[in-house]
Amino acid sequence: MHREIVVPRSVLMSVESPGRYVGGEINQIIREDIVRELREKGGCSAVRTAFCFPDVYEIGMSNLALQILYKVLNSEEWTSCERAFAPWPDMDKLMREKDIPLYSMETRSPLYEFDVVAFTLGYEMCFTNVLQMLDLGKIPFLSRDRKDDDPIVVCGGPVAYNIEPMADYFDAAFMGEGEEVDLEFTRLIKEYKDNGKKDRQALLRRIAKIEGMYVPSLYEPQYENGRFKRFIRKYDDVPEKIRKRIITDLDNVIFPTAPVVPNNSVVHDRAYLEIFRGCIRGCRFCQAGYITRPVREKSADVLIDQGRCIERSTGYDELGMLSLSTSDYTGLSKLTDGLLEAFEDRHTSLSLPSLRIDNFALELMDKVSRTRKTGLTFAPEAGTQRLRDVINKGICEDDIMSALKLAFDGGWSTVKLYFMLGLPTETDEDVEGIADLALKIEDLYYQCARERGEKPRRPEITVSTSMFIPKPFTAFQWEGQNTAEDFLRKQALLKSKVKKSRNIRYIWHDVETSCFEGILARGDRRLCPAMLDGYKAGMIFDAWDDNFDYEKWMQILDKHGITWEMFAGAIDPSEELPWDHIDVGVTRSFFLKERENAYKETVTPNCREKCAGCGAACFKTGVCFEKR
Amino acid sequence: MRNDNVEMHKKEHLPQFILRTRFTRRGPLSFIGHLDLMKVIERAVRRADLPILHTQGYNPRPVMVFALPLGVGIDTTGDYVDVAMSVPMEADEFLDRIRPQLPQGLEFISARQIGEPKDSIMSIVSAAAYSLEAPGITQKILDLFSLEKVETQKKSKGKIKTVDIRPLMIKPLTTSTPDRADIMVYAGSEKNLRPDVLLAALCEQTGYGKDKADECIVTRTALYGGTYPDIKELSELEIKYKENNI
Ligand code: SF4
Repeated sequence: MHREIVVPRSVLMSVESPGRYVGGEINQIIREDIVRELREKGGCSAVRTAFCFPDVYEIGMSNLALQILYKVLNSEEWTSCERAFAPWPDMDKLMREKDIPLYSMETRSPLYEFDVVAFTLGYEMCFTNVLQMLDLGKIPFLSRDRKDDDPIVVCGGPVAYNIEPMADYFDAAFMGEGEEVDLEFTRLIKEYKDNGKKDRQALLRRIAKIEGMYVPSLYEPQYENGRFKRFIRKYDDVPEKIRKRIITDLDNVIFPTAPVVPNNSVVHDRAYLEIFRGCIRGCRFCQAGYITRPVREKSADVLIDQGRCIERSTGYDELGMLSLSTSDYTGLSKLTDGLLEAFEDRHTSLSLPSLRIDNFALELMDKVSRTRKTGLTFAPEAGTQRLRDVINKGICEDDIMSALKLAFDGGWSTVKLYFMLGLPTETDEDVEGIADLALKIEDLYYQCARERGEKPRRPEITVSTSMFIPKPFTAFQWEGQNTAEDFLRKQALLKSKVKKSRNIRYIWHDVETSCFEGILARGDRRLCPAMLDGYKAGMIFDAWDDNFDYEKWMQILDKHGITWEMFAGAIDPSEELPWDHIDVGVTRSFFLKERENAYKETVTPNCREKCAGCGAACFKTGVCFEKR
Repeated sequence: MRNDNVEMHKKEHLPQFILRTRFTRRGPLSFIGHLDLMKVIERAVRRADLPILHTQGYNPRPVMVFALPLGVGIDTTGDYVDVAMSVPMEADEFLDRIRPQLPQGLEFISARQIGEPKDSIMSIVSAAAYSLEAPGITQKILDLFSLEKVETQKKSKGKIKTVDIRPLMIKPLTTSTPDRADIMVYAGSEKNLRPDVLLAALCEQTGYGKDKADECIVTRTALYGGTYPDIKELSELEIKYKENNI
């Protein structure tokens, strides 16, 4: 029977930012057809999906996948989609006290009423929020405990590529881009629903046959001497390898030109255009770059059109360009000119993240952005050329310096530099190299001012370091992570070196968070019980430093016989990996070759210079087939 | 950036064509704060593609002035915002264009064209009327008004201090039903009593249940200008214009 959840006013009035729990936004899709059926019959024939974002509303609403799939799944009458978010601890507490189940924003239906409960996973640290949402939504945690008419719980997003640490809790996972496969899957659920929801096991087996869908329960892991050994398929008709899905033609794929506009402030108050998928660069640590290959662009004309629509339908005064590297978009100047023309007199600015700084970029930034000269960002990632070659960061010191000279002469004085600590083969010299680079940049700043004959104001140079975390589907998937002690020592070393200048500010990521993430990133199914235990011990919102409790997590893992070395330590390349049955296009042998190249400090050209034969050409589209 | 704006404004004063707009809000939209409400209206204006006046400088913002900030959780049936256009626009056209763009729960009920006022709408508000709906609240409100002093804790700048809010409470308006009391209190930039502070004091001083106070539906029903007791509803108040006004 359908139930509409009413949250008492007193609850809303006693939590932080109650606007995140009430919906009512512009462009929200409330399916009147379904509401009517629910009220009259207590149920409906269309497949109902609750799209769940395992973090707070404000973060979730800035997520493009949510907006895209929300539109896709509401595009036909036999399928509908609503949104749900993780309630912040204050709300979580009150919902438990007052027995309010987690509900969707649109029809305020409890999660357990839905046919499909779909999570998008952008980072490992949101795992316990998945459990929180299932729990508050009154859905059994374990896939194997769910009955025929319980929701089918699925996930997608970058972290789904190694879903093993959470495998027991998902009925199925989507590999790759969801626009097409989501509908194929939903059609299957429609059939299941039409037939009165009988035999969930048979359904799962059918799901496994959809290309790009992984049903963890159909693969039985084997271990040997405390190491993962292999997966045994439970049935012969279950695919041995699951190949990710991608969209071949981005120009013609559905795109939300009227995304939901939150009423309360979110992380970025802006709309997004996705300009291309994939990355030509091949940084050896970067999972996002590899799993999204090959590069496929949207044409500038389509983007200008979509940009115009979005800007009108949302009323946002800022439009963000989304991709892994804005400068690699081949139609950038056509696109920005077109958008600027479309927005004339409307005071709309563009945000162009990760621009590679050159004359063109500086001019562009002047033209499109109203927050002028707030700061430039560079991501050299490593402090020495040797280490930059190891990670295949195709950028050298001269590039950085000549770009900065342009910028300084153009009036910029704020620079932010991003680095990673703990990269493979890193020595103290590389760590000190970070400080040297920052100091050289400071010198350059004053030198430029002298040459211009100006008395400069103080520059602001920020050095920011994160911790290298070896990720599946990268050339460094076999590497060991640095220990917390290593990281702390390196941070201290760097701190002592940058102290020399009062113009340099050093900020760093939390070491413990990165260490925990290191365990989850390459974890296998043995982590599943520990994740639930962690959740039951009150661990939610691990992605938020204030909530994250490393000590407690380590105690919980310890109870389950899990050590940090087991998953964050180095892996012998002869071992089978718990994600080897997932095929992202880029091959294991390519990753191995890239690993060798890293040790040899050999740079691999980018996709537009020369194809390196990574394997992603199997998708028969994109940059792999461009003329060079 | 802010400096840019100030300086540019000094240089040049653009003509403003103001639409004094009365709006109501209720439902989900009541659970957002004042700054968010401003942005919601800004975006609605942009969706309607109205020729709204922008501040100059690097960070142009639409020129809108609200009579009084509206706190989280408070409904309103009578608030005002002055929306400045860069060209003259009939009130009807303005309403026709913006209404379809407003989110659920926000309504622009009327608007009128006014010249550039001498005092901003924000500075003329001196009092507000609220209706408080909750079981048995009326008697307790009357009790509160009968006290000579109503002390309560108030947080300001991180410190908690005791304040007497009685001087900020003007009078009960309608108290004929037991579960709904209408009251008038001081409001505006000089003296202001927030309804949540009043409700907290009500619980402390009269023993009214906090659970009931938490469920209380608070609606702002009117805004007044002038000096009490010589006050008028904003819509009836005569507007003083700048000298060189058209
Ligand atoms: S196959 Fe070649 S061109 Fe295609 S993504 Fe891989 S390296 Fe790049």
